[in-house]
Amino acid sequence: MSFVQNFPFFSIIIAMFSGIVSAVISGKKARNLSIFAIGVTTCMSAAVLAYTWKTGESYTYMMGHFPAPWGNEIRAGVLEGLTALMFGVVMLLSVMGGLDHTEKDVEGSKLNLFYIMIDLMLSSLLALVYTNDLFTAYVFVEINTIAGCGLIMIRQWGRSLSAAIRYMVMSSLGSGLFLIGLSLLYDVTGQLLMIPAKEAVAQLAATDAYVIPMLVILAVISVGLAIKSGLYPFHYWIPDTYAYATPAASAVLSGLVSKGYIFLLIKILYRVMSPEHLMESYTLDVLYWFGIAGMMMGSIHAIQEKDTGRMIAYSSVAQIGYIYMGIGLGTQAGTTAAIFHIFSHGATKALLFISAVGLYEASGGERDYLSLRGAGYRNPLAAIGFTVGAMSMVGFPMLSGFISKLLFATSAFENTGKLLPTLIALAISTTLNAVYFLRLVISLYRPEKRKVDEVHRDSWNLRLAVVCFILLNLVLGLFSQPIVRAIGQGLIMFS
Amino acid sequence: MLMLLAVFVPILAGVLVLALKNLKENRGVLTGCFTAVLAAEAVLVILAVMGGGSVTLWKLTDTITLGLKIDKVGSLFAVLTSVMWLLAGIHSTSYMKHEHDEQRFYGFYLIVVGVLAGLDFSADLITMYVFYEMMTLTSLPLVLHELTKEAIHAGLKYLFYSVAGAFLALFGIFFLANVCGNLQFTAGGVVTPDMIAGKEGLLLFAVFAMIVGFGTKAGMFPLHGWLPTAHPVAPAPASAVLSGVITKAGVIAIIRVVYFIVGPVMIRGTWVQYAWMVLALLTVFMGSMLAYREKVMKKRFAYSTVSQVSYVLFGLSLLEPTAFVGALCHVVFHSVIKDALFLFAGAVIVRTGWTRIEQLRGLGRIMPKALAFYTLAALALIGIPPASGFVSKWYLATGSLASGTGALGFIGPVILLISALLTAGYLLPIMIQGYFPGQDFDGQEIKERGLEGKEPEPAMLVPIGILGIASLLLGCFPGPLIAFARSVAEMVL
Repeated sequence: MSFVQNFPFFSIIIAMFSGIVSAVISGKKARNLSIFAIGVTTCMSAAVLAYTWKTGESYTYMMGHFPAPWGNEIRAGVLEGLTALMFGVVMLLSVMGGLDHTEKDVEGSKLNLFYIMIDLMLSSLLALVYTNDLFTAYVFVEINTIAGCGLIMIRQWGRSLSAAIRYMVMSSLGSGLFLIGLSLLYDVTGQLLMIPAKEAVAQLAATDAYVIPMLVILAVISVGLAIKSGLYPFHYWIPDTYAYATPAASAVLSGLVSKGYIFLLIKILYRVMSPEHLMESYTLDVLYWFGIAGMMMGSIHAIQEKDTGRMIAYSSVAQIGYIYMGIGLGTQAGTTAAIFHIFSHGATKALLFISAVGLYEASGGERDYLSLRGAGYRNPLAAIGFTVGAMSMVGFPMLSGFISKLLFATSAFENTGKLLPTLIALAISTTLNAVYFLRLVISLYRPEKRKVDEVHRDSWNLRLAVVCFILLNLVLGLFSQPIVRAIGQGLIMFS
Repeated sequence: MLMLLAVFVPILAGVLVLALKNLKENRGVLTGCFTAVLAAEAVLVILAVMGGGSVTLWKLTDTITLGLKIDKVGSLFAVLTSVMWLLAGIHSTSYMKHEHDEQRFYGFYLIVVGVLAGLDFSADLITMYVFYEMMTLTSLPLVLHELTKEAIHAGLKYLFYSVAGAFLALFGIFFLANVCGNLQFTAGGVVTPDMIAGKEGLLLFAVFAMIVGFGTKAGMFPLHGWLPTAHPVAPAPASAVLSGVITKAGVIAIIRVVYFIVGPVMIRGTWVQYAWMVLALLTVFMGSMLAYREKVMKKRFAYSTVSQVSYVLFGLSLLEPTAFVGALCHVVFHSVIKDALFLFAGAVIVRTGWTRIEQLRGLGRIMPKALAFYTLAALALIGIPPASGFVSKWYLATGSLASGTGALGFIGPVILLISALLTAGYLLPIMIQGYFPGQDFDGQEIKERGLEGKEPEPAMLVPIGILGIASLLLGCFPGPLIAFARSVAEMVL
C-alpha cells in the first residue's frame, strides 16, 4: 500500500484535530491553524488526485477494524480527489478573503469558535466526499449541519440568528429524512457499506422484493438531501442564511456545503441504488423537473430582490437547480456536467460573495444594488471580481459558467425526451440571469452624482482572494478539458 | 500574424486609453493618438486581408478551438468596418469636443473595432460567438454614454435584446456542435444530410432560432425593438457606426450560419426560408413606415436602418446568387450611406442643437455643403440611378424574381418599391425644407444666432463629404464590388 493512500484519512483527521485543538488556543492562533489545516489537506487531496490518476483505479480504505456490514470505509478515486481539491481551494480562498470581516463580525473571545466550525466543516465535507459507507456519511452530515449553524449564528445579529434557527430546522428535517432512509435500507438489506449494499439492492431488484420500501428509501433519501442542499421548493432557508452570515461563512456555505450533499446524493444514487429502482421510481425525473423549476424560480426571485446578498443567494437556488437538472438527465454526460457545475458554481459564487463585500465597504456598508451605484470606481478590483463572477454566471464564453452550460446542453442530446425542455430552460434561465446580474454590473459602473471619495483599498488578503478566484474561474473556463476528462474518468471508477 | 495585430492593437490601445488618467488635460494628444490608431487599424486590416492565412488561438476543449482565418466575406466586412470606423472616428474628434467623458468614449470606440475585426476574421462559429458577445458588451458603453435616464434605459434594452438574441443563437450552436462536431466555416456549409438523419425538423428549428437570434443585431422583426431606442441616444458618431456597421455584424453572423455552416441546400424550399423571407419583408415595410411617421431626425434614421438592413436579409433569404450579390453590395452601400446620414445629424446637432425634422427648415442657409452631401446620400438610399442604392436594389429585385420562391419572390420587389417610395418620403423633406424653406420663412432664428453660412468644422464636414460622394461613386462604378460579390456567391451557392 502506497503512503499516499493514507492521505484521505489523514486529511479528515487533521481537519478534525485542528478543530479540537482550536478550542483551547487563542483566536489568532486558531485562525492560523485553520488556514494551515486547509492548506495541508488541499495539498493532500492534490496528491490523492495525482496518485489515483496515475494508477487509473480507485481504492477503498478501512478505518478501524470492523468488518462488513458495519465498518467505516473511505474510498478514493479521481473524482473524490478532484472534488476534495476543489473544495479545499475554494475554502482556503473564502476564509482568506473574509478574514478581516470575520474579525469584525465575530466577538473577539469567540473567534476560535468560528475557526473550530470551519475546521469541522472542512472535515465533514472531506468525509462526505470520501466516505464509502452510509453510516459515516450520516455522522458527517450531522457534523456538517452543526458546523453550518455555528458559522451562521457566530455573527450575533438578529437576522443571522433567525436564519440560523431556520437553517437548523430545515437541515434537521433533511438529516432526519436521510436517517429514516438509511435505517430502512439497513433493515431491508442488512448492509451499510456501499459496495455490499449495492449488491444486496441489485439482488432485491432482481427478485422484485421490497419494491415499495425501496421506493420509500429512494424518496426519503433524495428529499432529505434535496432539502439540505436547497433544491427548489425547499429553498426557504437559503436567502437569509447566505445573505446575513459573515462573508467567509456565506462563501463557504453557498459555494461548498450544499455541494457536499449533492455529491453524496450522486454517490448514493450511483453506488448504492440499482438502475431498475431509479427507473421505476422516476427519482431522476422528479429531480430533473424540480431542478428546472428551481432554475426559473430562483432567478425570478433574484430579479425581485433589491439586496445584493439576497440576490446572489437566490441565484444559488437557480444554480442548484442546474445541478439537479444535470443529475436528472440520468446519463453520464449529464452527471459530468452537474459535477463540473458544482466546481464552477463553487468558484463563482464564492467569488461573488467575497467581492460583494468589497463593494459594500466602498459604499458605506449599504447593500442594496441602487446604493452600489458607482462602486466600480470606488473599489475597482472588487468590481472586476464581481463582474467576472456575474459574467461567468450568465455564461459568457471563456469563463467557467459557459463551459457548464455547454456541457449541460450537449449532454441533453443523449436524452431525447429531455432535450427540448433542457435547452429551453437553459435559454430562459440564462436570460433571467443576465437580467439581474448585468443590472447590478451596470449599476456598479454608473457614475454617481455625489463625489467619489478616494479609492477604497481592501486588505491584501481580500484582494489576493479575489484575484485567485478570478484566475480559478478562467482556469475552469479555459482549461476545462482535462477537468471534464477527469470527472468522466472518476465516474467510470464509480461503478 | 497581421490579423492578430488587427484584432489586438485597437483593443489594447482602447484599454490603455481607458486606463491612463491624465490624458484628459491633453486633448490634442488624445485625439491625435486616437485617429492614428484608427488609421493604423485600417491599414492593418487591409494588409492582413492581402496577407491571408489562418491562425489557431486556443483549444477550448478537444473539439472546440478558437481561431482566426481570412476569407472573402470576412475581408469585405473587415475592410468596410475599419474604414467606416476611421471616418466616423475623425468626425467624433470634433463632435466629442461638445460632450463629456471624451476619453471613455474613445477607449471603448477603439476596443469595439478590434472586436469587430475578430468577429469578421473568425474561423469558426464558436470564435465568432465569443467575439459577438464581446461586441455586445463593449459597444454597450457607447449607447450608455450620456448616462441620462433615457440612455440607461436604452442601454438596458439593447443589452437584454442582444443577450436574448445571442442565447437564442447559442441554442442553435449547441445543436450544431453536437451534430457536426466541426464548426469551421466552409463555403457551402458543413452539414450533410446523413449527419442530421432523423433530426431534420430540429435542424430547421435551430437554424431559424439562429437567424432570429443573430437577426436581433440586424434589427429584424420580431427582435428589432431595441434599435430605434438605442441608436439615437448614443453620440452621433457612435450612432453612425452602430447603425452602419454593428448591425452588419448580425448580417455576417447570419451569412456564416446559413452559407458557411448549414449550407443553403439544407434550407432551400423549407419553412425556414419562407418564414425568413416574410420576416425580412415585414421588417422592410414596417421600418420604412415607422421612419416615415417619426419626427425626430436620429430616430428616423434609426428606423430607416431597421428597414434597410432587412433589404440585406431579404437578399440573403432568397438563397440565390444574384440576390446574394445584391445583399453584399447593399451591406457596403448602406454602411456608407447610413454613416453619412448620422454624421450629418451629428453636425446639425452640434451646430444648431436641432433634433426634430420640422426645426430643420432653412438648413441650406447654414450648411449648404453638408446638406448637399446629405442629399447625395439620401438619393443613393432611395435608389435613384446612378447612385449606389439603385445597383443593389436592382440585383435584389432581379434575384428575387429569378429565385423560384413562388408568390413571395414576386411580392418581394413590390415591397422593395413601396419601401423606396417611403424612403424618399422620409429623407427628401429634410433636403427640400432645407434648401427651399418657402416664402413665409424669414430665417429669424438663423440670423439672430449668427449661424448663416456656418458649415460644420472640417473634421466633421470631410467625413460627411467623403461618404456622400462615395455613395454616389460606388453606384457609378460598382464593377469591382459586384465582381467580388459574385465570386463569393459562386463559392457559397
